[in-house]
Amino acid sequence: MRIRAAVSAALASAGILLVGWQSGVHGADTRSAIAAAATGNQASGTGTTGSSGAASSESAASSATTGGSGTTGNSGATGASGAAGAAAKAGGTYDGDVVQTRFGTVQVQITVKAGQVTDVTALKLTDAEGRSVQISNYAAPVLRDEVLQAQSADVQTVGGATVTSDAYLTSLQAALDAANL
Amino acid sequence: MNTQLLPSPGTGTPMRPAHGPAPVREAGRFASQHRRRLLRADVLTVTAWSSLAAAVALWLADGGLTAASSPAGMITALGIVAGLAGMDLVLLMLLLAARIPFIDGAVGHDRALEFHRKLGKPSLYLLLAHGLLIAVGYGMAEGLDPVSEAVALWVLIPDMWLAFISLALFIAVVVTSLVAVRRRFPYEFWYAVHLLTYGAVLTSLPHQFSVGGLFAVGTWQRWYWLGICIATGAALLYYRVIQPVRATFRHQLTVERVTSVAPGVVNIEMSGLQVGSLAGNGGRFFIWRFLAPGLWWHTHPFSLSAEPVRKGPDGHGRLRITVRDLGRGSAQLLRLRRGTKVAVEGPYGLFSSAARSRDRVVMIGAGIGITPFRALLETTPFAPGQATVLLRGHSNQELYLGEEILELCRQRGATLFHLTGGRDPASPDSWLPASEHRAGYALADYVPEIAHADVYVCGPSRWAGNVLNAARASGVKEGQLHHERFDW
Amino acid sequence: MQQTSETPHRLRARTFTCMGTVISLTVPTDAHKAPQAAADELEAATAVVERLFTDLDSIFSLYRPDSEASRLVRDELALPEASAEMRARYEEAAEWRLLTEGAFTAERPDGALDLSGIVKGHAIREAGMSLLALGMANWCLNAGGDVLVSGSPNPGTDVPWRAGIVDPADRRTLLAGFPLGGAALGSPPQSLSPSGPAPLGEMTADGGTRAALATSGSAERGDHIWSVTAGAAEFRQVSVAAADVVMADVLATAIVAGGVPMLNRATAMWDIEALAVRANGELLATGGFRR
Repeated sequence: MRIRAAVSAALASAGILLVGWQSGVHGADTRSAIAAAATGNQASGTGTTGSSGAASSESAASSATTGGSGTTGNSGATGASGAAGAAAKAGGTYDGDVVQTRFGTVQVQITVKAGQVTDVTALKLTDAEGRSVQISNYAAPVLRDEVLQAQSADVQTVGGATVTSDAYLTSLQAALDAANL
Repeated sequence: MNTQLLPSPGTGTPMRPAHGPAPVREAGRFASQHRRRLLRADVLTVTAWSSLAAAVALWLADGGLTAASSPAGMITALGIVAGLAGMDLVLLMLLLAARIPFIDGAVGHDRALEFHRKLGKPSLYLLLAHGLLIAVGYGMAEGLDPVSEAVALWVLIPDMWLAFISLALFIAVVVTSLVAVRRRFPYEFWYAVHLLTYGAVLTSLPHQFSVGGLFAVGTWQRWYWLGICIATGAALLYYRVIQPVRATFRHQLTVERVTSVAPGVVNIEMSGLQVGSLAGNGGRFFIWRFLAPGLWWHTHPFSLSAEPVRKGPDGHGRLRITVRDLGRGSAQLLRLRRGTKVAVEGPYGLFSSAARSRDRVVMIGAGIGITPFRALLETTPFAPGQATVLLRGHSNQELYLGEEILELCRQRGATLFHLTGGRDPASPDSWLPASEHRAGYALADYVPEIAHADVYVCGPSRWAGNVLNAARASGVKEGQLHHERFDW
Repeated sequence: MQQTSETPHRLRARTFTCMGTVISLTVPTDAHKAPQAAADELEAATAVVERLFTDLDSIFSLYRPDSEASRLVRDELALPEASAEMRARYEEAAEWRLLTEGAFTAERPDGALDLSGIVKGHAIREAGMSLLALGMANWCLNAGGDVLVSGSPNPGTDVPWRAGIVDPADRRTLLAGFPLGGAALGSPPQSLSPSGPAPLGEMTADGGTRAALATSGSAERGDHIWSVTAGAAEFRQVSVAAADVVMADVLATAIVAGGVPMLNRATAMWDIEALAVRANGELLATGGFRR
């Protein structure tokens, strides 16, 4: 009887592990297929950004942030490191799972270029009234040379965190103002 | 003469009490009961292992393996798996200690707690590994040493400070209970430390759902994990709080009288309502709490030493436990006052007919461990001549309830041996008095058919261990051995 | 950023000090106007703006012991007895507090009322309306790093004003640029009070349609922003571009205080562009800030 318990427990456990493994591999395959189709690049070992990163539209952006910047350590930990690992090998777009958020149904697409997450877009979003809308206004991690550039020579004004009147004297704005006196 | 043999009455004159147990209807009845019980135990074993596998499968299904491609990722992945498995073991431990009837009926309270104890260290090691590996893994990914990483986790990630507190509490619980068992701290101390477990589990929960990416909002993994956590909590609440409170209000037990049986041993008689529903439990134990100043917070696990006697039509009746001064808690019971209210929960354990697997039955008790047999003998079904009772004590005076058991054996046709006298100091492995041991007697000499009987053993743990070994040597299989610990 | 070929219009700037910072008003010189007339016009406009700032500062400054705000903090005055101006700003701040779920608040951790988080933006907004009322179509107003523009530095074209954003790690260099204004602003900024959630999905990444840029940081006035989440500030500096300068200012402050969740809420709920600098120097940007 003890043998019966041991054998059944071993079989059941092996079965459960196998199912878990298969669904994990299947999910990764789907994602890598999307990535390969999107870029034509070789996409080996895709990340799990989809399932863990696309928790909600809000945390999607934050976990993607984590992945892109390499600061793991929060909810996106598994997904983020996976994404970073995959991103190093392949660029392209990655579709997340369709998840329910407080804004409605949303699927997040992450664009990876040269190992960096460059864009997070909500692909599918149904708001409370059931209309489909698209949001592209997420703040995604970017590299310094990917933001709009400016040289102090060709701007007319300078913005920054509140400048005190003392700090103004040495500020770029002061230089501009002086030039325009 | 310290061995007393009571021959069984002839088969032609079966003597049964008027309200005795049902006669054995068909042969093999206990065999099928035994098969069902073993099946239940196996189902539990498989469920426990499956839950552990499922915890790991949750991680696999989330594509965990693909994340483990770098050294840092691998360490983090191990940490996550350790955390999942550790938490699963903690939930199993809680379920084993929840006194759930299905578990109790399948393996018994004793063995459930034995598994509970066995899981203590592995789950702690897994949780420690979880914390360490995550700190190392995340730290490697971020280029931080594990200590700085741990500090960063504590400071920056919401709910992580609770997780650190939880880990500290888990360490405190396991270490103190290991020390408490070794140093034989009072049961109540050990019990109080265990209450910390609830704090440890509760403080560990927030970070699992808010930080664990595996359990992010909207994943089926989150529902599964929430489900098993809530189910465990509900089982604990129902079986350890609601049921005892209900039983206490239902039975309204009060102490009727306390009579001395022997020096340091008393019968506590209680009266209450619907005592009939407490009947038929044989030697299964109840947990008693006497609601008197200075006593109410002690719990006492004792079997009924006599089947409840119904007196009124409304189920009003009387029941009895027999208590020996075993520790500070039970010493005070000797001075219980009439009218003291009693909280009761139970019955628990497998020391009853539910554990029977054979038609023959052997009961071997020593000292205060004799008392549960009084009730078991009263109710468990057997044909005359198919039961043997062996009572062990230093003197006749120590064979508590000996007279009542003698009378019951007469009525039901059981064979009774009184084995009195000191141990043989030269052979600590013997369960017999010195004289019998030297005469070369063995268990099979008292019960020749013991290999085909259920053997119930109750007494001090060292002695009980010797009896169990003797029984095994006589060809009794594990499934036929039923043992109740009687020293807390 | 769009390269302009050549600037035929020279810019002229005037500055004054108020609210503990320096306010600059920059206008393009009109080739068709006499230089002296243009200079007089700028002087007059600066005087109007300075008067407006000074008046508001005398009410709201906590550095002036005799201001209405200081009397409120000292409990010499109760809010219901305060001036209409004071109550209106309090109401506006309270509304923003609700909309940002507490990330923006006009209460200091010690419970004292401090409306300075909204007053500067309000002053810029009022100054902008005054300038438009004076008939000036092209100007750039910069108050301590918060910018509101109208029109273009090249009058008659839709060339936007080019604003640089200071790198918090090195204040002598620019981290990024952003085009402001450009398209003719026929009317003053639409939303003078918190407008609530903007319609989702309005695409405004082409630049030139936003008149205001506000930046908040934890660098210079570290205790100016009270973090609603525990621990150190997640962002060192946050810039928000929007149609309305108060909205830009409030949301920049709220995002510094509320971190990534507030950033995501702000970009989802309001029609803004945002550029955030993490404590470790990494950047987060919406489409409008990207090349």
